[in-house]
Amino acid sequence: MKRSTIKHHWSVPDERGWSVVAREVVALLRPGSVLALQGPLGAGKTTFVQALAKELAAERVPKSPTFSMLRTYRVRRPSASLGTGWIQRLLHVDAYRIEHERDLIPLDLDAELAASDAILVIEWPEHAAHWLKSRPHLILRIKILKQGRKAEIQNDQ
Amino acid sequence: MRKSGRAVGERLRILGLETSCDETSVALLDVGARGESVRLVKHVVSSQIEIHAKYGGVVPEVAARTHVAEVVSLLTSVLGRRPLEAFDAIAVTRGPGLATALRVGIQAAQTLAWLGAKPIIGVNHLEGHIASAWLLPENRRAWSFPALALLVSGGHTELVRMDDYCRYTVVGSTRDDAAGEAFDKSAKLLGLGYPGGPVISRLATQGRDDAFDLPRPMLHDKTLDMSFSGLKTAIRRIVEAQRSNVRRPSFLERAPDGRRTFDLCASIERAIVEVLVAKTIRAAKETGARTVLLVGGVSANARLRRDLAAAVRRELPGAALLKTPVKFSTDNAAMIVAAGAWRLMRGERHDWKKLDAEPELDL
Repeated sequence: MKRSTIKHHWSVPDERGWSVVAREVVALLRPGSVLALQGPLGAGKTTFVQALAKELAAERVPKSPTFSMLRTYRVRRPSASLGTGWIQRLLHVDAYRIEHERDLIPLDLDAELAASDAILVIEWPEHAAHWLKSRPHLILRIKILKQGRKAEIQNDQ
Repeated sequence: MRKSGRAVGERLRILGLETSCDETSVALLDVGARGESVRLVKHVVSSQIEIHAKYGGVVPEVAARTHVAEVVSLLTSVLGRRPLEAFDAIAVTRGPGLATALRVGIQAAQTLAWLGAKPIIGVNHLEGHIASAWLLPENRRAWSFPALALLVSGGHTELVRMDDYCRYTVVGSTRDDAAGEAFDKSAKLLGLGYPGGPVISRLATQGRDDAFDLPRPMLHDKTLDMSFSGLKTAIRRIVEAQRSNVRRPSFLERAPDGRRTFDLCASIERAIVEVLVAKTIRAAKETGARTVLLVGGVSANARLRRDLAAAVRRELPGAALLKTPVKFSTDNAAMIVAAGAWRLMRGERHDWKKLDAEPELDL
């Protein structure tokens, strides 16, 4: 299958910088989209998701999903891709505590995505590599610099 | 929810099930009609018994993860040979948690409620944590309202005002990482393993808690909210500074080998505990609390117990600090029974047919 390659990067000098990244990333998402967030501990993955949720007009501010592994937020935003309706739920997954990929099964992610009203953002995608391999997704890589962060997005090619 | 006209009389043997996250737990408590006495008949948590041995090591992987094998095994061990005669009512966690995990406990409870025609009550996991402090007799005697609960665990950090049994208002909470998570991830950054809380606490006792200047975000702002995610970046900086300074000995390098880890652990613990204590005291003052409740997995932290006790004595004259017993601080079914008992005593019931998992349930 041929997909166009997306590649873009941002420099994020401080926490407020994530809102610019979020605004531009939302333009790439439609219901059913999967976004993998890579970056070390403390890179700002959850902070980015908070900015993303704000951009999607979420009712609540996301918190770390590390312990619960999955948190769901109601959002309301027309998909940037014409004809694909509304994005109504943000699924925030954290695979940090996943040791074996079978531990993903109880999260029931396929069923959640099948509802086609949600986008899924997954932290620590390295722990869910097999699950991700079989579905198209975007990758947002966050690097920690001496000052601030660098974020880079590309699709899974 | 249905409310029957009268509260349940005499004594009630309540069966509890908890499957909201990692632990599977079943408990049986014998509770007096007005909570004047509570006796723990049986209490098991999945990590305590060898389920795998019982199944000859053949546990379907998915079932193991989703509590199915555990819940059956634990119910058998708690209820014995005449299961339906062993209890009068059932309390089960209905949220928050993972839907698939919650449903295992709920479906087991529904089946037992239907088979035995017993009343069933769905319990909020967070209310269960608050009720865990009530399992201790001296806490029940000292309990008075308004109360202010610090609920602090790997997944939650909330300040909850309690005006009566079953009446809650969340007045503050973390905006990002839970305090327990802050301990775990700090330990990870230091390469100390999991779970981080106990490791850091143990090493902290040998360190100087003023050796490192770590951030206490939101400590002085007016809200009762907290934030712990900035700690990760601060610790990373310290670790990296040490690495890059190998050839230029700094104050870090001059410390006797091993001391730095002790000192950093002590500083981390102090930073987290200071924020928790300060916000709890402020919340208790604002709500005029007569009792302060300390519950959740992180409530087992010795420094938090000590520092909060001292702060309550110093700043809240007349108020009592009620701490959950350490063995009931992490997820367990006894606390679910305790919260269920509060509800049942008020005459509340659920229709077993309508009970379902509520993954994002609030207090």
